Amino acid sequence: MKWTKQDLQQYVQAKEYIDTIILPLIPFHFLTDSSLEKDAFQREVLSVFIRELEKEITGRVMLCPDYNYLKSADKKTEVVRINSWVENIRSQPFDHFFFITADSGWKKFDQAMQGTLIWNPHIVTESMQAREKQSVVHSQVQQVGELIRSYWQDDK
Amino acid sequence: MSKDKQPVSRRQFLNYTLTGAGGFMAAGLLISPLRMAIDPVLQKEESQGDFTNVQLAEEDLTNEPQRVDWEVEQIDGWYESKVSKTAWVYKDDNGEIVALSPICKHLGCVVSWEGSDDYPNQFYCPCHDGRYYKDGENVPGTPPTAGLDIYEHKVENGMLYLGKAQLREEL
Repeated sequence: MKWTKQDLQQYVQAKEYIDTIILPLIPFHFLTDSSLEKDAFQREVLSVFIRELEKEITGRVMLCPDYNYLKSADKKTEVVRINSWVENIRSQPFDHFFFITADSGWKKFDQAMQGTLIWNPHIVTESMQAREKQSVVHSQVQQVGELIRSYWQDDK
Repeated sequence: MSKDKQPVSRRQFLNYTLTGAGGFMAAGLLISPLRMAIDPVLQKEESQGDFTNVQLAEEDLTNEPQRVDWEVEQIDGWYESKVSKTAWVYKDDNGEIVALSPICKHLGCVVSWEGSDDYPNQFYCPCHDGRYYKDGENVPGTPPTAGLDIYEHKVENGMLYLGKAQLREEL
């Protein structure tokens, strides 16, 4: 489910079934011309990936609006802010928190984060054919879905 | 002879020409909005014939449900987008093609055939352990309250075409 009027309507009625939060961490910047295009492309890829992932397991996850930050920002202060998001979300009965990002910079901080960091390396490149891109994203969705389901298994 | 004809006075002549020319202009202005006003009537109705070739030959269908993915163009207002669709298709015991929607009737996750080792020969929803029998009917006692939707299908030149997913009650 997404943070939209229609989905939230359903969420409020079926809260007990939706116990997982997905929060995309997505950087942006305007600093260096040379990397602008590449970074924007990776952002697009990640949002396609997240959209497909949400579709696959929509009945148990809530996809939060993107957490946008400057690529150059100090991650330490960002973590504090992310955790304040988590605190706020905890006012609803969510048990699992997943942060999805393609920015490897977060890896060092995953101890401080109140949730599980899933780092998706950049695998899709611009030179790939549309079909290749699709199948790469598709297999990534399957794998990450598997990972999230393994956390659900532990609940039982 | 010329005496019988009514002479056209200068005033009348000017009147005729002005109304004529004015009429053309008015008609010109009216015609374009007219087309707009009746346009919905002229639009072709979204027919049920919206079938897509899913790149699967009929002869490749077996008793075992297999997953097919395809894309359709969807126009939502001015926003055109490609939507990916999925179905589980197989031939039942009578050789009839069955194409089931993978969308769980509980909260909309994607179910898969034998998705759990504990439940062979069933569709399994990973989100809340919803289960469906092979024909798509929900297993009582699991969260879903209805069977999986069924796609319209047809076979042309040996290829499988799928249309819209329909609720069970509507069939």
